[in-house]
Amino acid sequence: MLRREQNELLTQTGPNTPGGRLFRKYWIPALLVEELPNAECAPVRVKLLSERLLAFRDTRDRYGLIDEFCAHRGVSLWFGRNEEGGLRCPYHGWKYDYTGQCVEVPSEPEESGFCKKIKLKSYPLVERGGVLWTYMGPPDKRPPLPEWEFATVPREQSFTSKRLQECNWLQAMEGGIDSSHVSFLHRGELSSDPLFKGAKGNQYNLGDTRPVFEVAESPGGLYVGARRNTEDGNYYWRITQWVMPSFTMIPPRGNHPVHGHFWIPIDDENCWAWSFDYHALRPLTASEIAAMRDGKGIHVRYVPGTFRPMANKDNDYLIDREAQKAGRTYSGVAGIAMQDASMQESMGPIVDRTKENLVSTDNGIIMARHRLLRAIKDLIEKDATPPGVNTQHQRVRSASVVLEPGQAFADAATDALNVRPGVAHSTV
Amino acid sequence: MSSESAQANAATEARFRIDDANWRQRVVKVMALDRRSEPVVRRLAQGRWGGATFFTASAFAPAPSPNTDMQFSMASWLSDLAGRTKDLVDELNGADLVAMVATAGENLQQVAPVIGEACKAKHVTTIAFVLGSASIPQDALSRTLRQLRPWTLMLVIAPSEEAITETLAALRA
Repeated sequence: MLRREQNELLTQTGPNTPGGRLFRKYWIPALLVEELPNAECAPVRVKLLSERLLAFRDTRDRYGLIDEFCAHRGVSLWFGRNEEGGLRCPYHGWKYDYTGQCVEVPSEPEESGFCKKIKLKSYPLVERGGVLWTYMGPPDKRPPLPEWEFATVPREQSFTSKRLQECNWLQAMEGGIDSSHVSFLHRGELSSDPLFKGAKGNQYNLGDTRPVFEVAESPGGLYVGARRNTEDGNYYWRITQWVMPSFTMIPPRGNHPVHGHFWIPIDDENCWAWSFDYHALRPLTASEIAAMRDGKGIHVRYVPGTFRPMANKDNDYLIDREAQKAGRTYSGVAGIAMQDASMQESMGPIVDRTKENLVSTDNGIIMARHRLLRAIKDLIEKDATPPGVNTQHQRVRSASVVLEPGQAFADAATDALNVRPGVAHSTV
Repeated sequence: MSSESAQANAATEARFRIDDANWRQRVVKVMALDRRSEPVVRRLAQGRWGGATFFTASAFAPAPSPNTDMQFSMASWLSDLAGRTKDLVDELNGADLVAMVATAGENLQQVAPVIGEACKAKHVTTIAFVLGSASIPQDALSRTLRQLRPWTLMLVIAPSEEAITETLAALRA
């Protein structure tokens, strides 16, 4: 349960909101690199943190992320002509470069220098690991580029997708640190999904539906450990990483690629669920990539030409009551991603947390909210840099391990929870 | 025509949600497991709580030795914050949750099993908070966690007292 004002602090991320200031401390994923496939390609509308922006790639392959609307009469530059080093508004020909600087106002004498007085708001847009990242905070506070492992391994070792989720970012993200739902909502997929099935750990997941939890703060966020019994009296631990503000990494299963998410606010009622898979040591196989493109694992199939999932609220998520009854899927919705999204969207665009009744196994969620609220307070009162900005906080891994009962996961798995170049994830 | 989900998920539909309280007050017993946790629990008790009561187990006697003929009794193993002796089993009757508060590095070998076993017998859910982890060596923290782990559904290495307050509030204590 949260008080109304706490809920608003955490769920509102527009300009000049406390939560918005927090998100504007980080590099966040903005677009897939293939959305701007070549120089002078069509510009792309981007809404992030409740700001309407436009991304484009100019003649010299420079990426720009600028205010969507022309400074002259407010026309959307999505109609613009991407030509000769800038984006030209087709209404009256005003032209902007990749920094948002107006470089031509055809109606004014060139010598007047009028165009120098016009500049659209812009943000940096930088490619890393197949993702275009942006930083929307004050330029003088720009942190180092992100160093998440999935974005720094060779490209053939990772796959990233994004999907529209039609609810606030926080309720989507909270699903990412809520391990206890897996044994119910996703139980069908543990045996059938090509990117999940076959791992020894799945048997422990299915065999013990009442996991016991331990939560500890990590430098950048939280470790959420879920403990289940093994057949020989040891404990099977699944340790999820949450790094501020909205990165979650799911513990690995067998030799499958490791999955994770970023939950990035579009506005207060929609977010992007960024989903990545990578393997620290080997290229992804053709069949793994084919499965990801086919919407398996944590990915989805799309409505053609969009990033909206094929199963969505407009078609009741293609719910199949017979599959639900027969146990092929637990909720009747197919696919891990849409199983989560259908639950979270059904809460409404922004869930009213004053009405919820959390239990002790929700403590990962409680602690994450607490840490976010603390970071917002420290940011507002002391301008303190929040956890997760430091790139060292980003060089983390999730892990699944079997430990003797006396061992603490955060202690025994210290190495496993950090990036170790040339060493595989610790997995069961 | 839009689907049922599309209509139901819309923000405008939120105003039709039932506004009655969907919960009854939980009964939460907050227990300090060692002397260093006692002042923490005293400070927690100053807050506004609906169904939380606060105790200390720091006056616990050592567990009875099998070689003594001393009569083992739960009746004297718990005190409220005024120092009155309380019967552990009585307190657990009707409790929904026991929140144990411990200090990293303290020896809980005597107290954790007694409370844990009693909660198990009474089917009361447990959560444990460990404070002060930053100031002690890792192996000492591990020892404390080891002593608590068998007896709790959720073990939290709490960064601050405030985290305990927030958690109890989130659990509607």
